[in-house]
Amino acid sequence: MMKTIVKNKPGSLQIIVVGCGKVGHTLVEQLTREGHDLTVVDTQAQVISEITDEFDVLGIQGNGGSLRVLEEAGLQKADVMIAVTGSDELNLLCCTLSRKAGNDIAAIARVRNPDYSEELPYLRRQLGLAMIVNPEMEAAKEIARLISRPQALTVNAFAKGHAELVRFRIPKDNILGGKRIMDLESIFGFGYLICTVERGDDVVIPRGPFVLQEGDEITVLSKARDVHRVFESIGMRGSTVRSCMVVGGGRASYYLARLLLDQHMDVKIIEKNRERCRELTALLPRALVVCGDGSNEAMLLEEGIETAESFAALTGIDEENILMSLYARRVSGLKTITKINRITFNDVIDELDLGSVVYPKYIIAEEIIAYVRARANSVGSNVETLYHMFDNRVEAIEFHVGKTAPVIGIPLMQLQLKENLLIACINRGGKIIFPRGQDVIEPDDTVIVVTTQSGFSDIRDILR
Amino acid sequence: MKSVLYILGWILNIEALFMLLPIGTAVIYREHEGIWFALVMAILAALGFLLTWRKPKQMRFYMREGFVCTALGWIALSFFGCLPFVWTGEIPRLIDALFETVSGFTTTGASILPKVEFMSHCSMLWRCFTHWIGGMGVLVFLLAVLPMVGGSNMQLMRAESPGPSVGKLVPKVRATALMLYRLYIVLTVAEAVLLILAGMIPFEAICTAMGTAGTGGFGFRNDSFMSFSPAIQWIVAVFMMLFGVNFNVYYLISLGKLRDASRCEEMRWYVGIIAAATALITFNIAQTGMRLADTVRHAYFQVCTVMTTTGFSSADFDLWPGFSKALLVMLMYVGACAGSTGGGLKISRIVIAVKALLSYLGGFLHPHAVRRVRFEDKDVEASTLFGIYIYFIGAFVIVVLSILLVSLDGKDLVTTFTAVTATFNNIGPGLAQVGPTAHYAHFSTLSKLVMIFDMLAGRLEIFPMLLLFYPPLWKETVGDNLRRLRRRRRSRNADSVA
Repeated sequence: MMKTIVKNKPGSLQIIVVGCGKVGHTLVEQLTREGHDLTVVDTQAQVISEITDEFDVLGIQGNGGSLRVLEEAGLQKADVMIAVTGSDELNLLCCTLSRKAGNDIAAIARVRNPDYSEELPYLRRQLGLAMIVNPEMEAAKEIARLISRPQALTVNAFAKGHAELVRFRIPKDNILGGKRIMDLESIFGFGYLICTVERGDDVVIPRGPFVLQEGDEITVLSKARDVHRVFESIGMRGSTVRSCMVVGGGRASYYLARLLLDQHMDVKIIEKNRERCRELTALLPRALVVCGDGSNEAMLLEEGIETAESFAALTGIDEENILMSLYARRVSGLKTITKINRITFNDVIDELDLGSVVYPKYIIAEEIIAYVRARANSVGSNVETLYHMFDNRVEAIEFHVGKTAPVIGIPLMQLQLKENLLIACINRGGKIIFPRGQDVIEPDDTVIVVTTQSGFSDIRDILR
Repeated sequence: MKSVLYILGWILNIEALFMLLPIGTAVIYREHEGIWFALVMAILAALGFLLTWRKPKQMRFYMREGFVCTALGWIALSFFGCLPFVWTGEIPRLIDALFETVSGFTTTGASILPKVEFMSHCSMLWRCFTHWIGGMGVLVFLLAVLPMVGGSNMQLMRAESPGPSVGKLVPKVRATALMLYRLYIVLTVAEAVLLILAGMIPFEAICTAMGTAGTGGFGFRNDSFMSFSPAIQWIVAVFMMLFGVNFNVYYLISLGKLRDASRCEEMRWYVGIIAAATALITFNIAQTGMRLADTVRHAYFQVCTVMTTTGFSSADFDLWPGFSKALLVMLMYVGACAGSTGGGLKISRIVIAVKALLSYLGGFLHPHAVRRVRFEDKDVEASTLFGIYIYFIGAFVIVVLSILLVSLDGKDLVTTFTAVTATFNNIGPGLAQVGPTAHYAHFSTLSKLVMIFDMLAGRLEIFPMLLLFYPPLWKETVGDNLRRLRRRRRSRNADSVA
């Protein structure tokens, strides 16, 4: 009879998401927005019924490690399998099964246990997985980056870390206040680009005559090693941070401590559970582990919050993290980083004086969506990195340029680009170029594009 | 509130589109009645255009909006759909025309027309077409053609589709709705072609196919199918049975998963019940001296028509023995499979309820035993079970109160009881004064209104209609909107002061 399957718009993939916790929920939200066909598998019927009410997805109740359940979820036709249950082993099993039984399926597993963290590349290769993601590890990397750039609210890395996009608020009486974008050359003596400006509720990609004001939140892209000079040039010299106080001894704290200790910084971890403290002292011999309740004011004072250089609130309870950071900002105005796992209310959180906020679930969702977009579209260019900024209103995407892309060899000023779009920089084998009108894109470049539009999956999407 | 009006506007637009079919028929047969259809179409299009002119900024759609929208949508659909009958003078009284149209859209097939043969072709086609639309549902059609943004539109589909738990075939609502309509069209066309091959004239074949597909049952002859050849009766009977099967089964068949399709527990019960009932009735009416082949055919036809809640008839079963009549009335309550176009309580609900009863009885022997109710190889959720119990209670209350109100007409109990049963379960013919050769014209206006409510409640699975008569809904809606208005006025005042 009818063999035809209803096809949606081209580029829409059949995706199975196994496990519907915080990350699963975020992924479902963002991937349905991108127009893919999603099937969600979870063991709890309640969770399934909630997610199918909220989003246009198919729900299957069952164990994602069972082949029968996966086939019911449409494994044969699926393009991507994303396993984000609470158990690393189940995620790996689910992805391995999908690779064996599925039809050239791209499998993505979440693996969080530090015991496996060293072996992830090996596991990924041997099991034939597309990606292994580790939200806590990625969150820790981002936090470490923020600690090294204390003036920035967020730091996003591009071009394998050669370029960074930093976001900060223009302080009172700053040299930038009242300046036009085109007049800034005299201040910065090196490659940089102002990508976006947020003022009040509006986000714009500014042109030359745009006048900056104090209080604007701006993002600046520059070479990674020039970032400190950006802040120096505008008089926002921050003292280099050499120590960090971390509250909460979970996985993210462990990964962060390892990164910071590698940079020879002093790390102090405050953890409530004595047993966990013992484990941490064994795992991190060079860190100072304090057993105590970080949400206790006296405890923080005793451990010297007034003189700390940076402070990271990484407990599993979002409300405590927020309160501790607010308190830390009040007593000493130091660099604070708050991890938020669960709660939504993004608008309210943005208004609080929290310093930098890190959302592990969004970090991981962006990583996976970048991969899915690249997979949705196989014409020779790839999405390397993707960041959502300003509440999803701005996307910064790094494309890899294939040999046949229609943008090659044409001076940028002659390209018919879409509205509200900026070619921010070109990475040519590690060399970062801030392009002018005469510059051209070459094959094998990666190009970083900043846009207020959404859903680009290919370099040719930037053209009209 | 705004989003409900927006969806209602689209429903009217869709109905305007559907009006093209009777208009086309009128053009083919050169009937001047077509003018009235064109007028109604213009009214529908104008109203629909006004309501869908501006898309609300936020399409917020929760359970409440979905149910209200479905109930109001079906009422609006029926009201505008009945206007052509009134204006052409074929059914002069508004209440009668409304009864006829509701009976059409809800796929009941209970008619108030004593003589059907005098209808124009376009009106006849519209009558049968309402069955076809109502069978799969107009909101499902809307979901298939209109790409809607934001959130899940499952609430709309769930409110309109029959069954204790409505699922999807594929991840997207829109693709699911498209798939359902595609299967529906293929089956309908297949039946029409077979009927033409069996010697029916095309117009009647199309009307029959649409009536069967929706499990409706409007006849275009007063004696329904009694005067057609056995071959045609067989074709219609088999297709009635096919349209009473859960459409998921056809989806699986279309994917080539025959084994999965044959494993559907509900379908097995369905086929089993039909076979058993056919055998029992054949045995019961065998004494009448008919040939065995005819007896089997009539028994099978009547079982299918009642079980799938279609309502065609190949024999006047009102003349059959008491046992056969009782069995048929019982089957009226059983109904077809969930996820089909048929009505009734649905086989899955009954099977699950009986299993729950057995498991409860087992609890008296072993009070601490852990028990589960299993259906289709899956545990039935406690919330689904609870929903089924509540459904039975709701259906019981509606039927009892309806019988009480209809009995005010002073008719005998069999007529009153089967009239309510046949309308609530969307079948059409009952027994005695509403038997297969009779009609519903002789009821009072109040009784007709009650039965209109019953038909809509039966088709929409009672809750959307009951919700409309649930005072807190209106209290909250009015309260919310007043508060919103007041807040807006206050903020505007504050602005002007500043």
